[in-house]
Amino acid sequence: MAVYKRGYEPYEGELTPEWSRFLVIARQAYRRVFESRLLVSYLVLCLICPVACALIIYLPHNEGALQMVSVGDLITIEPGFFLKYMHLQGWLGFILTAFIGPGLISADLANNALPLYFSRPFTRTEYVAGKMSVLAILLSFITWIPGLLLFAFQSYLAGPKWFWDNLHVAYALFVGFWVWIILLSLLALAMSAWVKWKLAAGILILAIFFVVAGIGSVLNEVLDTRMGSLINVVQVIDTIWSSMLGLASRSGISPANAWMSLAAACALCLHLLSRKVRAYEVERS
Amino acid sequence: MSGGRIVFEDVSKFYGDVLGVNRVNLSIPPGITALVGPNGSGKTTLMNLITGLVRPTRGRISVLGISPDDPERLFKVVGYCTQFDSFPRGKTGYEFLYSSLRLHGKSHAEARELTMTALELTGMTDAAGRRVAAYSKGMRQRIKLAHAICHQPSVLVLDEPLNGLDPMARAEAIALFRSLAAEGLHVIISSHILHEVDCISDQVVLLNSGYVVAEGQIQAVRSEMNQEHPLQIMVRCSRPGALASRVFTLDHVVEVRMHADGRGLLASTRNPDLFYQALNQAVLEGLIDIESVAPADDDVHSVYQYLIGNEGEAL
Amino acid sequence: MKTSLPWKLWARQVMAILRIELAKNFKRKRAIPVYVLAFLPFLLWQTHSLVHIRGWRTCSGSEDLMVYAGVFQVFVLRLAIFFSAVAIFMNLFRGKIVEKTLHYYFLAPVRREVLVVGKYLSGVAMMVIVFGAGTALSYLTAVNHLKLTASRAVVPAAMADLPVYVGVTALACLGYGAVFLVTGLLFRNPIVPAVAILSWESIIVFLPAVLKKFSVIFYLESLCPVKVPFHGPGLLFTITAEPTPAYLSVPGLILLTLALLALAALRIRKMEISYGTE
Repeated sequence: MAVYKRGYEPYEGELTPEWSRFLVIARQAYRRVFESRLLVSYLVLCLICPVACALIIYLPHNEGALQMVSVGDLITIEPGFFLKYMHLQGWLGFILTAFIGPGLISADLANNALPLYFSRPFTRTEYVAGKMSVLAILLSFITWIPGLLLFAFQSYLAGPKWFWDNLHVAYALFVGFWVWIILLSLLALAMSAWVKWKLAAGILILAIFFVVAGIGSVLNEVLDTRMGSLINVVQVIDTIWSSMLGLASRSGISPANAWMSLAAACALCLHLLSRKVRAYEVERS
Repeated sequence: MSGGRIVFEDVSKFYGDVLGVNRVNLSIPPGITALVGPNGSGKTTLMNLITGLVRPTRGRISVLGISPDDPERLFKVVGYCTQFDSFPRGKTGYEFLYSSLRLHGKSHAEARELTMTALELTGMTDAAGRRVAAYSKGMRQRIKLAHAICHQPSVLVLDEPLNGLDPMARAEAIALFRSLAAEGLHVIISSHILHEVDCISDQVVLLNSGYVVAEGQIQAVRSEMNQEHPLQIMVRCSRPGALASRVFTLDHVVEVRMHADGRGLLASTRNPDLFYQALNQAVLEGLIDIESVAPADDDVHSVYQYLIGNEGEAL
Repeated sequence: MKTSLPWKLWARQVMAILRIELAKNFKRKRAIPVYVLAFLPFLLWQTHSLVHIRGWRTCSGSEDLMVYAGVFQVFVLRLAIFFSAVAIFMNLFRGKIVEKTLHYYFLAPVRREVLVVGKYLSGVAMMVIVFGAGTALSYLTAVNHLKLTASRAVVPAAMADLPVYVGVTALACLGYGAVFLVTGLLFRNPIVPAVAILSWESIIVFLPAVLKKFSVIFYLESLCPVKVPFHGPGLLFTITAEPTPAYLSVPGLILLTLALLALAALRIRKMEISYGTE
């Protein structure tokens, strides 16, 4: 029997490219996400609305359907229709974020896993990008991807003129949803990093949307102003989406102010992330 | 009569489909009792059952006649140093002990005095004003120990209490356990460090895969195993060859190995008493001069190896 | 021989738990958002008053009491107290399980029922002190501001509503506290029930009168001195129900609280420490 010399031998095989290494985090996270039947069911539920929208788009172009329904009952496919779609899918995306987002960083912090990540050739930026990609990819599948498919479907049915007249809708669907996705992901990650407890992070995400919106309304009511709407995430995003679609928003704030408010919120989240996502923690004695 | 003992009557604990411990029957007297077994053998489950942190699926437990379902009475007499390395946030070592004692119903002065005593016993007086979160592993272990003993219990349950302690602190902790046991306390210790268990315990409970495989004083356990695992006795003497040929004539001696230096032998016997008689006889006859005689495998380590084998890797 | 229950000992133990928990509840950083939510209306009413005093904007005061009622019912009751109760009461047990420190309480010679009562009272005490003070201060500021406006005649009548507002605040803390204490004990992930309760409490305005009675907010709003009409796109779908009189809604809420506490006590009696599964 041969006796083999055992010793440490470094791996000399091929490495994955550095730029795509952050996706390892997403792959791991998806394995857990798709283990939950509740979340898978919810993801399916999120696709019901795009399917319904596709039917609504199809009806005016179907002769049989037109004979059954009077033309006046049909919904006109114009930017307002897509704004409603964006609002609905945006809310569904928010709920999805509230489910998945809280555990993304808090679990690593609670289990002291960050030193393990950062003791590898893996930067803090890559870590945050990896965690963001978990939400960004999932949210894309329920927001702008079906949105653009709906736009393409309508363009196909309505003809090139409709397409060229409403090209800004496609831009709004793509950019508007990406703005929403980035905001949701940053907020979720910042809250998840700020509190080590996943449940507290979940409550915080809900509170950011409901309580801060409430504070905005109280500001508006008590001080007789519209500035409170600047901290109401829903009104801010409604202003931005409406301006992209060429529609007037009911929020009472200008698109420029809405963009500034959004930028401030993102900057705050990034600041929180840069403070909390570190390989070490100092405990004061 | 279970008044002065910790009694398990046919106790089983299942975590869903996973077995914690099964059909445990024990009666633990005062003194130091060591729970020994590999990881996942059920040591912590047994301790959690004693302290009511988990409930038995079947069977009955009584701690000095008190049911673990009655925390109001139980924890007046029981102190538990758990394996969980977590502490209430923001508390200093002093505050941690003091607030616990207030919860026991002690007055401010009494709680203060008991806190100081426990801190002193565990060598934590100097660090008492610092936050527990900033303690080293050894200090956290010691403050947990202080927490377990601060209300002066009669039963002390210690889950791996020597983990993370440096050799000095280890020796001090062992001395503390011994002195508490000498005062008549039940000290129940789980440990992987077998030579320390051997040094300190009056009796052992060996666990494997949720079953009690042996219990009692280690020598008694060992002697019960003599048929299956003959006791090895090391004899350092003059003329070991003569002794070897003498003991080979005995039925109960199954093996003799000569030492390489020619100044001793290792004999395996199924009846140590008869072997020692034969040895005395050889000395009286002037056959040999004995330098030393010592059993080589009647310690916890050997018992562990024989009963549990390599399933559990203990130190 | 019949032995009497050791009420004195339990009271002492409840006091000890209160001492430990109250200090933690008030001092910890996570309490800061609770303070902000409780005292934000006060700060805003102060600013409202200051804006008028400085002459930056004139205020007749005619709408102020209605605005206060709206802020109180929609913001303080439905959002501020609701979310603070989620944060404080879920932390009492579920938070300790996540921190792996609940066993320190279970290792004390204290009945688990006493532990539930002590912890619940500590949460209620903190919430009532903070939100009671916040409500009283904001209301006093709003009413004092009326003295400087054309609506000064309504001030004496408005002052009579102060204890009602504080009382409703205290009842909200009791009710929501008990709801989230139980939720934290029954559910491993209490976010789902919290969202469900929030949704239920929000859509109650559209539900039939029978269903409205299964919510905390319905009783609280019944007790409020000023009724706030519902505005918004869903106005057509709202269903008005006769408000429950105070002699029914106050004991009703207290009974609901006691029932929830009993449920919590039952749950905690059987609770085992198994942090590994969290």
